[in-house]
Amino acid sequence: MRITLKVWRQSGPAKAGTLVEYAADNVSADMSFLEMLDLVNEGLIARGEDPIAFDSDCREGICGACGFLIDGLPHGPVRGSTVCQLHMRSFSDGDTLVLEPWRAKAFPLVKDLVVDRSAFDRIIQAGGYTSINVGGARDANSILIGKDTVEQAMDSAACIACGACVAACKNASAALFTAAKITHLSLLPQGQVERYTRVVRMVDRHDDEGFGSCSNEGECEAVCPKEIPITNIARMNREYLKATLMRGR
Amino acid sequence: MSSFRRVFTSSVGTKLLIGLTGLALFAYLILHLAGNLLIFFGQETFNEYSHKLISNPLVVPVEIGLLLIFLLHVYKAIINWMGNQAARPVRYEKTEWAGHKSRKSVSSVTMIWTGLMTLLFVVVHLKQFRFGAWYEIGSPPIRDLYRTETELFTAPAWVAVYVLCVILVGFHLRHGISSAFQSIGADHPVYTKRLVVWGTAFAILIGGGFAIIPIWVYLTR
Ligand code: FES
Repeated sequence: MRITLKVWRQSGPAKAGTLVEYAADNVSADMSFLEMLDLVNEGLIARGEDPIAFDSDCREGICGACGFLIDGLPHGPVRGSTVCQLHMRSFSDGDTLVLEPWRAKAFPLVKDLVVDRSAFDRIIQAGGYTSINVGGARDANSILIGKDTVEQAMDSAACIACGACVAACKNASAALFTAAKITHLSLLPQGQVERYTRVVRMVDRHDDEGFGSCSNEGECEAVCPKEIPITNIARMNREYLKATLMRGR
Repeated sequence: MSSFRRVFTSSVGTKLLIGLTGLALFAYLILHLAGNLLIFFGQETFNEYSHKLISNPLVVPVEIGLLLIFLLHVYKAIINWMGNQAARPVRYEKTEWAGHKSRKSVSSVTMIWTGLMTLLFVVVHLKQFRFGAWYEIGSPPIRDLYRTETELFTAPAWVAVYVLCVILVGFHLRHGISSAFQSIGADHPVYTKRLVVWGTAFAILIGGGFAIIPIWVYLTR
């Protein structure tokens, strides 16, 4: 396959960026999208040029490190997939693809397709944890939790914090990410202690980072590699309402 | 923990307020439409209804309450929109709608514009009706709102303006109704899916219902 890439190249946060065209030749349909980029980068390095910077780690769709827009869609056209799990067979010979980084005030650009997502870490630090006294390892089933609740909490916990929700949202809102974390912990008994302080602190942090608010369009859900539904956001709103009513803030 | 004031300025709190005020205005629109449809029963019924309404001592406090709800909705929505614009200072070179389960629609991306048009329309509409030409009929005399309305809608330009504006209101409701329920935290394994369908149905009913009236008046006068 031969693919033409138009990649956002920007050497640093304060530098001007632009789309630069590259030809990717001899692309195998079995390559992942990132392997294809590795191939392009090998060519660039051989020619003494600066390789395209992009994030990746596990390359098996579980860590959340990778991600950029392919032709206007976060993680590309395949549903429920990260770019590392996206294969070139999803494209056709001769395609031209535009690659762009996540764009949000809260995700400052580092280089090319790499953005700084530490805003997510700070949202987690604000309340995405449970305070548990660590002692000897507990018996696995000492706290009984209903099957449905476990499933629902796990669906939310599946969030890998890749940032695609922010990238897809017209408001660059991190509502889905924040809501998934809040939902996960609010459903489980271990999360009850900080349940109401958590939602308020995490939402406040979310806002302070410069993310927008939710317009309930659900673009985030449609691009989420873990297909986390926006019903999580409804739950976050409900938890927030409860927290402010019940605790008086 | 943050101050109580933040409840109404946070992203979630702002949307809660926009949702709640929006739903209140939606409920008002249903009542408003039901009242307006009485015009199909003729001058007398329509005027009697409007007289009962405006002679009620509660009507002014309710109107003031409604105005405050409306202004809060507008104010919060504008502030919210500006914040959201600021959240993505650098635009994409290329974007695509995700499709699939996304509810993004022409209606959802134009909320601020259909909303601002509605604001403009409400000002004109209040001036033409609430504070419009005052005719009297019968003894004891009551306001002949029927005449005010039928006179206005003999002008095709005003018919067109009203029809266009209420269709824009319909577009606003198309996304607004289901979005408001989501904002106030309504979520149910079965009903959430139906909400979007019902929201659209109500949007068509309200937009269409209001649009029929000026057309009908124009054609039958
Ligand atoms: S590299 Fe880990 S999810 Fe893609």
